[in-house]
Amino acid sequence: MSALGISALKVLAALGLMLGNGVVMIYMLRKVLGHLHIRLGPMHVGWKGTLQTVMDVLKLLTKEDITPRAVDRWLFRIAPAVVFIPSLMAYAALPFSDTWRVTNLDSGLLYTFTALSLVPLGILMAGWASSNKWSLLGGMRAAAQQIAYEVPLLLSVLPIVMLVGSMNLGVIVEAQRGTVLAVIPRWFIMNPLFWPTFVLYSISALVETNQTPFDMSEAESELVGGFATEYSAMKFGLLFLSEFSNQFIVAALTVTLFFGGWTLPWVPEAVSNTFGPLTFMLKTYLVIAVMMWIRGTFPRVRIDQLMQLGWQRLIPISLAWIVISGVVIKVWS
Amino acid sequence: MRPAPADIERAIVGLIDARVTEEPLGVVARVSLADVVEALEALKVAGYESLVDFDGTDTGELIELTYRLRSYALDLEVYVKAPVSYGGTIASIWHEYPSALMPERETAELFGLHLAGHPNPKRLLTTDGVAPLLRKDVLIRTVEEVRDR
Amino acid sequence: MSDQCEETLGVGLLCEGQHDPGTPPAGLRRAPSGVDGLSTEHLIINMGPQHPSTHGVLRMIIEVDGEEVIASEVSVGYLHRGIEKLAEHRRYDAVGTLMDRGDYVSGIMGELAFALAAEQLMEVDVPRKAHWLRSLTSELNRLASHLVWYGTFGLDTGAMGQFLYAMREREALCDILEAITGQRMMFNYVRPGGVVADLPVGVEEKIRAFLATFPTYLGEYDQLLGGNEIFQARVKGIGVIDRDMALAFGLTGANLRAAGVDFDVRKARPYAAYPELDFEVPLGTVGDAWDRYTVRMGEMAQSARMIGQLIDGMPEGDHIAKVSKIIRPAAGEVYASVESSRGETGVHLVSDGTEHPYRMHYRGPSLYAVQALEELLPGHLLGDVVMLIGSTDVMLGEIDR
Repeated sequence: MSALGISALKVLAALGLMLGNGVVMIYMLRKVLGHLHIRLGPMHVGWKGTLQTVMDVLKLLTKEDITPRAVDRWLFRIAPAVVFIPSLMAYAALPFSDTWRVTNLDSGLLYTFTALSLVPLGILMAGWASSNKWSLLGGMRAAAQQIAYEVPLLLSVLPIVMLVGSMNLGVIVEAQRGTVLAVIPRWFIMNPLFWPTFVLYSISALVETNQTPFDMSEAESELVGGFATEYSAMKFGLLFLSEFSNQFIVAALTVTLFFGGWTLPWVPEAVSNTFGPLTFMLKTYLVIAVMMWIRGTFPRVRIDQLMQLGWQRLIPISLAWIVISGVVIKVWS
Repeated sequence: MRPAPADIERAIVGLIDARVTEEPLGVVARVSLADVVEALEALKVAGYESLVDFDGTDTGELIELTYRLRSYALDLEVYVKAPVSYGGTIASIWHEYPSALMPERETAELFGLHLAGHPNPKRLLTTDGVAPLLRKDVLIRTVEEVRDR
Repeated sequence: MSDQCEETLGVGLLCEGQHDPGTPPAGLRRAPSGVDGLSTEHLIINMGPQHPSTHGVLRMIIEVDGEEVIASEVSVGYLHRGIEKLAEHRRYDAVGTLMDRGDYVSGIMGELAFALAAEQLMEVDVPRKAHWLRSLTSELNRLASHLVWYGTFGLDTGAMGQFLYAMREREALCDILEAITGQRMMFNYVRPGGVVADLPVGVEEKIRAFLATFPTYLGEYDQLLGGNEIFQARVKGIGVIDRDMALAFGLTGANLRAAGVDFDVRKARPYAAYPELDFEVPLGTVGDAWDRYTVRMGEMAQSARMIGQLIDGMPEGDHIAKVSKIIRPAAGEVYASVESSRGETGVHLVSDGTEHPYRMHYRGPSLYAVQALEELLPGHLLGDVVMLIGSTDVMLGEIDR
């Protein structure tokens, strides 16, 4: 098969993964939230409601696609695509195992963050084009939040890059292979040097993907539906799907950076590699479950508190931590 | 709790036609419509700092406004009543008691009165063209609603 | 006309009348746009009546500068049913159904206010047991209502976790109330002269079972929402209604007590079985949203305490006095008020001696809370608007009536 054909297949596989993920994650969200809220979640379509999300996707596909008269038609139509495509792009650098990945990028970490940072552009477009004041406010919030948290997100993970010496996500995972003293996994989360990094990264990542308690641009109790208020049918479906996809990417990055990616500690390398994709997905879904747990419990912060946290706390702390960890890494090595 | 009628009389002394009586309702000061703002101002000075309720009653000849004032410091309540003719004008007392803002709009609307000096003299509950519902000459529309149950 | 009228926020015209209008209240004052010659525009947004978190059908017209609220106007009336007019066409024993639909989350208190007013005119001797049953159902209903407030207040701040937990407890309360009154929300239980039915067999155990677990759950719920730092950062120091403002706007209930005013109708003007009960009135200090939260949480604990006392000391005897089938109270005018879940619910009743009330005015405490919002919102951020609506616990049923 030609190189082009293989690339196309890889892109299709990423798309399939993204769509499949969306369906699974919506079901998972409903079940996790349901059990957090002492109810069962969907129970009627399929076994334990497993087909509920499939039915919902079918519903979204067959619903009438309403374009309100006052919207900026062109922007309104392309905005879901502008949200969706970067989200799909971000799958390219994720290492599902030592061989399973769309591409092996040396600047994989930077690339993924770049792809993610395009998403709010689409959200701003959606908010502006909707000619709805709630949507506009949602879009503006997304933009403000994006500018404030892009910096700490990238700064927060720099200590890891300094230690590993590469931005290639595969190399970062390889650096976490094996165990210390045959018991403790060599995961970066086990390294006290990266605990502040993890906290900074988690907060910034939650903001970056619009997750509770930082879901300012949707904020259904304040802004009705935020940027998605005027969207219906599959356009809404795309916006919705990219949100879940972003959540998956951030969870996958968390696993890659802090929890050893596809590797398993305590087992031989061959076994670990064989079950790589499975391990990776399981770990990612665990992280997603924690994110959903946060979503089901926490109230939302206020926009000024969010901005304060970003500009006045996270950026200075990230910078300080880069200096400290730089010194520590230098002294150690 | 009820204040001594004499205290209320002393507070609103000097107003023409003011009568203070003790009734099953409580201590009621009856003043003329022209004096109502003055009476309420005087009572506010006397410590009745909160307007707790305001409503009207269609007596068949005129509309009787009832202001219910309360002093939390003294733990006392007093009612001020003022008559207003159909289609008359009530002077807003929101300067003294901001809590009258909406009840005044409601009363004016539901009894077909006018508001003077109100910052936002719009209808509160119903849309334009709805008859002043609480007047006795406005009947409920359907037989079912009026049926003796 | 337009010469003398100055446009206020949204749809209103501020017209110069005979009386000098003076400076309008803060909520209706429009600030000039633009800073230092830079042309900016304020956004006027319409919030409700279909907004997801305006607690029913409240509509607010809010002028924002970015995220900050500059001016706000409250528009009500989307739930107007003319309860006061309808009551003039009902017999005294049938008005209760209307009162239920006023504050529909705590219907017993509305019925009780009307029954107390009618009894003043009827000069009927209400049996002691009826008093106790009225207090018991009132407190059960207050708990149910406060739980709804607790759940939705969390939702307003964006938290989802606590809502269905509150609903679980409310479900138990609704079951108990259903066993006692026959209905879950629209009770029609309190009638002039007493209550409709005695306590049924088995309900006492139900209430005791509820009380056995409720205080623990209440502590957990307080931890879940009030113990959350984000929640505290959201509500502390926000929406301060101090004593002066609370009195000026006629606030009652928890909103008033959060400002430190010790006034509870149950203590100050005792009715039903409250003189015989031992309970405390939780008070706030500064009157911010956090104080309103703690006062309501404290009230829930006190309600649970009272329910225990009411169950233990429930007297024997009739549950309703001998009243004629068609009640014709003496002509006269009375006012009765009770402490409902949202404040002082008052009924101003005028009777002309016939079997229908001549005039029934229903004072809904939320009407006064909602107009205080107009004054309260300017200066806060858009995200605080829904939170402040939630913290004042307004109920549109009794605003529009």
